Amino acid sequence: MKNRWGKSLLLPLIAVFAAMSLLAGCGGGGTPAATTPEKKGSETTAPEASTAKYEFGKEPLEIELYGHYDWFSMPAWGGDPATKWIQDNMKVTIKPILSGGKANQKLNTLIAGGTLPDVIWMQRDGEVERLRQNGLLVPFDDYLDKYPNLKEWAGEDTLNMLRSPDGKLYQFPNWYTKEPNGNGGYMLNIKMYKELGEPKIETLDDFYNYLKLVKAKYPNVIPFEPGLEAQGFDTLYSAFKESNPPTHISMRAVPNGDKLTSLFLDPTYRESMQFINKLYREGLVAKDALTQTEDQVKEKVMNGRVAVYSSADTTKFGSMGHAALTKKDPNDGYFMIWPFAKAGIPKDKINPGHYNSLGWNVSVITTSAENPEAVFAFWDYMTGPEGFRVLFWGPEGLYWEGVDADGVPKLKDDYFTKEKERQDLMDKLVNFQWAGNTGYIDPAKSKFELQLPPEKRTWETRWQSEITWKTQYNATEFQNLDPSKESDEGIARQAVEDIYLEARSQALYAKSEEDVLKVLDKAHADADAVGYSTVLEYKTKMWLENKQKLGK
Amino acid sequence: MSPTDLSTSKGSAPDPGLQIKASKQSGWQRFIKQIDIQLMVLPALCFVFVFSYIPMYGVLTAFQDYSLFKGFFASDWVGFKHFAAFFKSPDFERVLRNTLVISFLKLLISFPAPILLALMLNEVGNKYFKSLVQTLSYLPHFLSWVIVSGFVISMLSVDNGSINIILEKLNLIEEPLNFLSMPEYFWSILITTNVWKEIGFASIVYLAAIAGIDPHLYEAAAMDGASRFKQIFLITLPCIMPVVIIFMILAIGNIMNAGFEDILLLSKDKIVWSVSDVIDTYVLRVGIENHRYSYAAAVGLFKSVVSIILLTLANAIARRSGNSLW
Repeated sequence: MKNRWGKSLLLPLIAVFAAMSLLAGCGGGGTPAATTPEKKGSETTAPEASTAKYEFGKEPLEIELYGHYDWFSMPAWGGDPATKWIQDNMKVTIKPILSGGKANQKLNTLIAGGTLPDVIWMQRDGEVERLRQNGLLVPFDDYLDKYPNLKEWAGEDTLNMLRSPDGKLYQFPNWYTKEPNGNGGYMLNIKMYKELGEPKIETLDDFYNYLKLVKAKYPNVIPFEPGLEAQGFDTLYSAFKESNPPTHISMRAVPNGDKLTSLFLDPTYRESMQFINKLYREGLVAKDALTQTEDQVKEKVMNGRVAVYSSADTTKFGSMGHAALTKKDPNDGYFMIWPFAKAGIPKDKINPGHYNSLGWNVSVITTSAENPEAVFAFWDYMTGPEGFRVLFWGPEGLYWEGVDADGVPKLKDDYFTKEKERQDLMDKLVNFQWAGNTGYIDPAKSKFELQLPPEKRTWETRWQSEITWKTQYNATEFQNLDPSKESDEGIARQAVEDIYLEARSQALYAKSEEDVLKVLDKAHADADAVGYSTVLEYKTKMWLENKQKLGK
Repeated sequence: MSPTDLSTSKGSAPDPGLQIKASKQSGWQRFIKQIDIQLMVLPALCFVFVFSYIPMYGVLTAFQDYSLFKGFFASDWVGFKHFAAFFKSPDFERVLRNTLVISFLKLLISFPAPILLALMLNEVGNKYFKSLVQTLSYLPHFLSWVIVSGFVISMLSVDNGSINIILEKLNLIEEPLNFLSMPEYFWSILITTNVWKEIGFASIVYLAAIAGIDPHLYEAAAMDGASRFKQIFLITLPCIMPVVIIFMILAIGNIMNAGFEDILLLSKDKIVWSVSDVIDTYVLRVGIENHRYSYAAAVGLFKSVVSIILLTLANAIARRSGNSLW
């Protein structure tokens, strides 16, 4: 036996050696790439504030942009009139780097490979701080006065909130604002509402009774559809107490005096979960609320299979669904209602959604950018009225010509006559709005809307101005509370996150209301065991700092 | 490793004449003589070397606080810190239990299923029917898990899922069931899907082994009056036993790999984590997605060490029957 082994081993061994000698040549290239980012850092010296402003159109400028989202993709730059106009007139081209559905891994590959793109468009979280601490980001402070749009429109407070611990600004906000915004709320199917006798829905009981009515009359309709990731459950949380925004749930922490405390023990949260559990047990809520995909939600809304719909962005599918339903039947469609709450809560203290002055997300410029100033200049152009008009309504001369004193474009006839093409363009442009300026666009949109004949006014703008913007909660002080992922608090936060997600499922499917409380008690105990208290302490500290920055 | 290699090398003794001839030649001469065949092996060897051996130094990061920014050489060494963290973590027990249970179920059900299919196919007389069944049953193997899980999710969906519709029409249930959100059904769904996807492909090996059995044995048995059933148990099964045992050893070595894509894709609702979270999904979620590379490496290394121990044990037991891997 032994003898045979020796011989049969010989050949593979020879082959391995042969293979090794072949590979030795490329061995050098295979060394870990982790050292390269440092090299890169030293290549690009700290940006100096030269006096001359960057001039667009002189030379071509190509900017690589990586969207740090699983879903990120974008239409080709230059494939529509607006970006084509920018490409032709300013010689700027944005080249996308795609995440391939796995943003986390992609970013890490980019870091490890030392090939960071010029701009990363990402969530405002611990990740930004991780990049900054490792010296991969370019601060904007030297450019702020030279290119004034951001400073003017975002305001000093917002910029201060965005500043990193070293006091410098590394993040270019998107959809920042000084005015309330946001689309959290409830929307009802018009036809069913009318057929059910238009009952008033002002309290939680009214809401519950309405769902019962729907279920009795339309067995195939989903009485309450909470949207993607069951965001509508978070909306409902706002109905149990005054000034009780869903922010608490997304923070997994509830403010109590000057401390943030456990979500699982919050009486309001517990009550809301019991209520949701009751809806589920009685078949009043979508059964696949926690697992459905965005497409499935969309399909239900578009086909009028939901009686009440709610999410963090109700108007998104609301306007699409309304358009789809009215096309089939002019009497069908959706409308929004003023948010309801437990009896006794004042109407103006119900906050089914939240907003913050920092907006949605940010763009950061990396040290790999050859000319960070040019990149900043372009972002500043995009966020200013001049650039943003192009990226919102298309280039001048297409659907608008000239602007009024407030910078609102004057519409051309084409805007109305070529509605389909115009809408296609505007839908496409949403993908390029990385430096959205809510403070400019919202008033402009409203004013724009008034230039339209009433039947042409958009569904979205109507309900935003009538309801959602009036009911959203300003949650700016609760921004940036998360610890970085690698820290001890960050590791604990992740463990709590898993516990929260599991407990939410368990609470929804629990057999009785008492079981809901048991699930939440257990979740708190489990979370406590993995360090929930240290996470809460960290968040409290950051929250108090934020309040100070905001002068509260 | 092809199935025929296995069955012939283990099943029949090498020709003594060949062996004498071979030992007269030096290894190098034999290598040159077979150069065309050796060259064909080369890409596979390179592949294994580049993708399995070179990255192996990476397991050392399990003993570091690896930072993506500092790189391998500049990261701090921390000994067994990450192992201790994993063993102390409240998830440890659950993850290990799920891994073992799911693996064991796969061993118990998914492992014998293709043998059974092969035995059944072997008894089918109609050649065309046999190859039709074979083709249809091995096709799912070539579908990726993303697609298969898509089928499963839509079939089991609570909103217009076909299974729920059938059950409702048959009056077996009153309201559609949310199958993928019910922890008690998760293992059955997972194993069933696995069997469906892999049964045909896995049975090819056994069919090949069965084809290699000397037909004289059957003729002799038939003469002695053995029924079809007896022939299966007394001839077919014992003859393919060496192959079965080899695959059994490999399967036991794989027991810490409960599966990954299938579990990840079917456990969309977090409520099933209590039964679905296995070592690999845990490594992905807690380790890699949160940049805890060292922790992920430590958990992965723990898994590999246990796998090697199990493999060695299984092999030692199999050696007693004379069918061991080494």
